[in-house]
Amino acid sequence: MTRMLKRIAKVAMATLVVAGSANLAFAEDKEITFSGSGGVVGKVSKEVWWGPYTEATGIKINHVAAEAKRMPQLEAMVKSGNVLWDAMEVSASDYPLGVKKGLFEPIDYSQVDPDNQLPADTREEFGVAYAAYSQVLIVRTDKLPEGKKMQSWADFWDVENFPGPRALRGRAEDNLEFALLADGVPAEDIYKVLSTKEGLDRAFAKMDEIKPHITTWWTSGAQSVQLLSDGEVYFCPSYNGRITTLVSSGIPAEIVWNGGAMHKSYIAIPKGTKKLKEATEYVKFRTTSADRMREYVTHLPYPGWAPGLFDGMDPKMAANMPTYPQNQAVQFSASAEFWAENLEAIQERWTEWLLQ
Amino acid sequence: MNTNRKITSTWLLWPALFMLVAFFLIPTLDILRASVYDPEFTTKHFVKLFGSNVYLEILWRTIRLSLIVSLICAVIAYPVSYFIVLRPRKQQIFFLFLVFIPLWMSVLIRSYAWMVVLGREGLINAIMIGLGFTDQPVKMLFTTGAVYIAMVQILLPIQIVTCYSAMSEIDFDLMRAARILGAKPWQAIRRVFLPLSLDGTVTGAIIVFMLSMGFFITPALVGGRKDIMMANLIEFQVNQLNWGFAAAISIVLLIATVISVFIIKRLAKTLTRRLVGGGSA
Repeated sequence: MTRMLKRIAKVAMATLVVAGSANLAFAEDKEITFSGSGGVVGKVSKEVWWGPYTEATGIKINHVAAEAKRMPQLEAMVKSGNVLWDAMEVSASDYPLGVKKGLFEPIDYSQVDPDNQLPADTREEFGVAYAAYSQVLIVRTDKLPEGKKMQSWADFWDVENFPGPRALRGRAEDNLEFALLADGVPAEDIYKVLSTKEGLDRAFAKMDEIKPHITTWWTSGAQSVQLLSDGEVYFCPSYNGRITTLVSSGIPAEIVWNGGAMHKSYIAIPKGTKKLKEATEYVKFRTTSADRMREYVTHLPYPGWAPGLFDGMDPKMAANMPTYPQNQAVQFSASAEFWAENLEAIQERWTEWLLQ
Repeated sequence: MNTNRKITSTWLLWPALFMLVAFFLIPTLDILRASVYDPEFTTKHFVKLFGSNVYLEILWRTIRLSLIVSLICAVIAYPVSYFIVLRPRKQQIFFLFLVFIPLWMSVLIRSYAWMVVLGREGLINAIMIGLGFTDQPVKMLFTTGAVYIAMVQILLPIQIVTCYSAMSEIDFDLMRAARILGAKPWQAIRRVFLPLSLDGTVTGAIIVFMLSMGFFITPALVGGRKDIMMANLIEFQVNQLNWGFAAAISIVLLIATVISVFIIKRLAKTLTRRLVGGGSA
């Protein structure tokens, strides 16, 4: 027993020494630290992004699985001048916060996207949008009235022409936007309208109309899929990636992209990194490598905007991607900024409204 | 002799006491701290909580739901426990085993199972439509009734087991003695057995009540839009990283639970006294 332990200890020591010296050898310029999602996303990213990146550039990626409190951590690093991360994922709601506090390096687009191929709304001053998911209306096509097709939120609200049970997510975000779209507000004005007292009242008044027809208010994405596949509801918004689960289990369902809420995620560079060049290199790789991204979306439904992403992609698959040009054109960009500022007050009203 | 044994055996409690302090008392105090320090001393969370009637409304709904669930559980469990106690020893174990089986399944799975049973295209509706009782599916899922059914089913074993263990302690010779002294069968039950077994029922009801107060998955899955529990609010606030407000809701929930338990105990005591007092009271 003791001999066994000793051996283990020896092996462990040896590994440490080897790993340590390897680290030293690469330390200066051959490794960057990346703070990103753990779990499945981390696992797939390792295979699809980090491995090939190291192969292409010789730069290793040291992944730090992101914690919930990433922003306070980043702030502490930047303040103390000891920045441990060289690049990081930033959620849409954290991005404005980080910009306000000056926690990011400005993106050098002459390096990342010299030919100006990324869409303008993905090129932010301090971050590049690298992935998107959408909350979109999913319709059970077998439950539609003969010869009719649901095409908008106005149709979702139209219970006479499209009878049948419906569900919505039990949160104010996205729903109030959907209500305004159903009420005829143009997509580009949604947040302008929502920011006013009258606009908010208008959204809630529209929600009043649909309220009696909502069977249930779901709380998790898995639940929304369950509701649709059990026939508990016929029409229900959910995350775009969920359609795959439904279709692969033989449920006739399709996405209505019109009026969908697109949520973007950003990749940014913490202020004061010592590896700005390498980090910028990775940002370029992560946002513009079409072939990598094409492989990534076969595992996870979060595509970005890499130029040429849809060239050679299975058209069926492309049609389910939120960033597919035709799909993106009819969606609106969900404003994380608006909700970061207003969620607390609106949520209280929302809960009260649900109880009425 | 008695005191002697007490002194030497208190150390038996130390491990439990340690657990209680380390994993219950300290975290609870920490939550209390988080509710009033954010980061400086503040009462803003409690002012917000009591300033809007949403939270009080939900607190009241939570208490009402928990009371009804524990009452239904108590009423169903009492005859079941009595039935089991009257069986021979071996059969008792078998019946208790049956009661225990559902306890080994996760609450989440049991809630989803109820969705399958009560749903639009679920078991009950399929049978009713098949037999021609109705041609339109009846709405059972996503109603408050569904919450009662699912929660009672989930919590009933706990009530039965608590109630049973109290009943099995009762010396049935006492009833016989009462009969010999001239009590009618019903009188013997009401004035001897019922008061003796009530303690176990009340203890079970209190456990069920406390567990109900913290429920949130089941109401969220099978309930309607109005079936929001205090725990759902806490979960939402934690997700928004509003720890202070979440802590304040938790403290209010805790205090409300303690007060309710106290009231239930008082009521039970009065009830027992009345039962024992019988006709003369």
